[in-house]
Amino acid sequence: MSEQFSRRDFLKLAGLGAATTAILTGCGPASRYVKREPYQQMPEYNSVGQSTYYATTCRECAAGCGLVVRTYQGRAIKAEGNANHPLNLGKTCARGQATLHGLYNPDRVQGPSTGDWDSAIQSVADAFKNYKPGEIAFLMGMAPDHLFDLVGDLTAAAGMDAPIRYGALSMFESRATLSKAAENLFGQPGLPWFDVGNAQAVFSFGANFLETWLSPVAYTRGFVGLRQSETKLRGVLVQFEARMSATGAKADHWVPLRPGTEGLVALAIGKLASELRGGATPRIFSGVNPAEAAEQAGVELEALEAMAQIFASNAVLAIPGGAALGQSNGLETAEAVLALNALSDNFGKPGGVYLSALAPNQTEYSGPASTEEMAGLVEKMKSGAIKALFVHGVSPVFELPAALGFKEALANVELFSFATFPDETAKEAKHVLPDHHGLESWGYQRVATGVSQSVLSGSQPVVSPYYNTRATADVLIAAAQLAGGKFAEALPYKDEVEFIQTKLAALLGEGDGSFSAPDAATFMAYFQQYGGWFKNSNALIAPDGSGALNGSIEAGEAEFAGEGEFFFVPFVSPTLAEAGANKPWLQELPDPTTTVMWNSWIEINPATAHELGVEDDDVVKVSSEFGALELPVYRYPAIRPDTVAIAFGQGHTAYGRYAENRGVHAGDLLGARFNEAGDLAFGGVKVRVEKTGRKQPLSRMESIMGVYGVGLGGEEH
Amino acid sequence: MIRPEEIKMSAEETGKWGMVIDQDICTGCQACVAACAMENNITFVGEVDSGYGRSMHWIRIERFWEGEYPEVKMTPQQPMMCQQCGHANCEPVCPAFATVHSQAEQLNLQVYNRCVGTRYCANNCPYQVRAFNWRDYQRPEPLQNQFNPDVTVRRMGVMEKCTFCIQRIHKAQDTAKSEGREVRDGEFTTACAQACPANAIVFGRVDQPESLVSQLKHRRHGVKHLEELGTLPNVTYIKGG
Repeated sequence: MSEQFSRRDFLKLAGLGAATTAILTGCGPASRYVKREPYQQMPEYNSVGQSTYYATTCRECAAGCGLVVRTYQGRAIKAEGNANHPLNLGKTCARGQATLHGLYNPDRVQGPSTGDWDSAIQSVADAFKNYKPGEIAFLMGMAPDHLFDLVGDLTAAAGMDAPIRYGALSMFESRATLSKAAENLFGQPGLPWFDVGNAQAVFSFGANFLETWLSPVAYTRGFVGLRQSETKLRGVLVQFEARMSATGAKADHWVPLRPGTEGLVALAIGKLASELRGGATPRIFSGVNPAEAAEQAGVELEALEAMAQIFASNAVLAIPGGAALGQSNGLETAEAVLALNALSDNFGKPGGVYLSALAPNQTEYSGPASTEEMAGLVEKMKSGAIKALFVHGVSPVFELPAALGFKEALANVELFSFATFPDETAKEAKHVLPDHHGLESWGYQRVATGVSQSVLSGSQPVVSPYYNTRATADVLIAAAQLAGGKFAEALPYKDEVEFIQTKLAALLGEGDGSFSAPDAATFMAYFQQYGGWFKNSNALIAPDGSGALNGSIEAGEAEFAGEGEFFFVPFVSPTLAEAGANKPWLQELPDPTTTVMWNSWIEINPATAHELGVEDDDVVKVSSEFGALELPVYRYPAIRPDTVAIAFGQGHTAYGRYAENRGVHAGDLLGARFNEAGDLAFGGVKVRVEKTGRKQPLSRMESIMGVYGVGLGGEEH
Repeated sequence: MIRPEEIKMSAEETGKWGMVIDQDICTGCQACVAACAMENNITFVGEVDSGYGRSMHWIRIERFWEGEYPEVKMTPQQPMMCQQCGHANCEPVCPAFATVHSQAEQLNLQVYNRCVGTRYCANNCPYQVRAFNWRDYQRPEPLQNQFNPDVTVRRMGVMEKCTFCIQRIHKAQDTAKSEGREVRDGEFTTACAQACPANAIVFGRVDQPESLVSQLKHRRHGVKHLEELGTLPNVTYIKGG
């Protein structure tokens, strides 16, 4: 820069910078690494006072929403949705917004446990060489997919078992049950996608699709389409569940069923509706008696008849969701609810049921492991069949119910944790090799559901790594090369970026894409710029459900463990989910239904609370066959009197200052019983509630708003 | 009871920027609350202080219960933030002129470095949307790296509230000015509206009849909260389908 460079010239240039920022963003060479530099040496494309925006993928859950992150002088300032990303169209959920509190979390793991990366990588290479391939297991989270692919290549070449994927969200979504039911019904595996937006009416059996279920941002868009559309009347949402979820709070009709009777009720409504419509009653409904079903479900027959009336006069989309499927009869429930859709003949039609599009680099559906498969892994660890375990992207010690005994089984294995945060699993690990935060990382994520197109979402670092962390892909590549032989052959890459480029090269010649490029480097540059690549055409799979009504489903009674008098509904906190507790602003977000912040509570119907002699903030002891918890009462007006509920998300014993020793872990009350699809029957537990006499005030938003009249001079009720 | 002359008064509003919130599709997911906190350098206060009602939310989602089990219903979620009143109750009571009406933007400004912390404005606000910094809340290293350089970081003893993301308004105005034009409706939006997965919050120019926010406001049954107080709010709520 010459000395004649005047202030006027500078201002011109700065103005030009503002105009061109958007165009230049992400267009750099494929191997660009962003660095945080002092003011004198700005990262490329940055000029003082101007923001730079990078497209990447949100890692707060596995849905794969696109983000555009505003950076300023090398710091990430704000995460926004990527308006060009077909999954979220520029929108984000609260957890996506708070992703920066993960990046800048004061309690991140700042370096490898060995002190230096050379010896850390050596320890991985030693494990590869010292253990037999069958003695090594990889446990991966639901994101990111590029790392899952890399580990898949490694394990396949080295003769190890394929990596297992798991997450508490997939457990509470009952994903395995949902896809298994779809496979049984349609003869084709896949993850169902429910076109809520084009439906006339939606009957949701426990699907909390506006909160954490599968792809909440996309389903929220669907919900808006259901309610408001230029082309059809306002749609109706009916929610069947024992405890009103935040989704149920938006429903036009909320029907509180006894847990475990959802399948039976679905069949009863199907029978009533088909009788109302006239004609022969389909075989699948022949065995059900609506009056008995209502009796078992603990609702009035009139309530079911009213819903059947809605069903008979609308094309109804029926959705089986997590809470209804997390029962011993969950698979039958899922099949019964899916089959209801046949009455509306909506399989593969707008407003109906599809199988989700496969992502661009995916040839067949693959879902996460069921909790029963996780129990199998625990067995192998206990028996010594597995001697080395690598964990990335999931904290099984926290996310699995304690009853599965994962933590105890860790005594027998050499544990490698790639955790970004000091979570419960990292605490138990012999080796901690911290990965970058998602906003410091390369990668891609296959969009599993939520959109009609086939979408591969791209990640790139938006800031340089803050700490002495290293990309797990780079660690594995380096370790494989150290180990030599078939390991080195499996991962012949210079680094993670080269691996991703190699995988993306397969898409280079594909038509119908959101962009095309003449060569791999340009493709990668566009991939970064746009935050992914997707096909323009509709790639939803229309399933064949023609036989749905001719089957027979035995909607048996759900089994419950324990002698307690209350059904127990564990639900995922809509704002914290499984990994949000370490983000202070997520802690300070009021729970959407109770407005409680920073803690755990047990939801009890006010009438039940009165019988028990407890008020708000009275601490009670809740015990099941498997464990006991003490926590304050929240009198929740929208829960069955025979049911209590606790949110999952708090109760960490590690995971940083904002999460530790705060609230209780709902999983501690759960057992290890599974449904036929192998998902945990997390709703199959009965609990006892006893008064302790202590009080613990809950911090809640509503008290200052006078919901119960507090602070406004009204009477407390 | 609303008197006819008050209805006339609210029809004569002179606001420039306005918001329409559709409670029928708001799911209460809290994305707007998080987005607002991230954009505006809002501090978190922790469990104890939030329990005392000292949390600093500039936007909150109100919800109430109607009826008793099993006929219980949650009222439509109601995002509540500063209504940017045309006749604001907070303004005349400030002895320091810290909360004043901007002629240029037609908004309620909060001038942090004038604020002496009398809290008269918060006492007088019928919407209860002002947040007071009762302490200097700590944001340990490296959380402060996230600070938005366009927004002042507030300290103890200062009142704050929703600004309609005035930093974004100014940025858009600067860009428009350098290009010799007016700010276009939809050119930018507030952090809450940008994040909202349901598009329940729409922000824009209420002084332009063709803008989306004006159309929504007039096309459907919009209501303004506590309109009968004559506050002339610039936020319109749509209830029911």
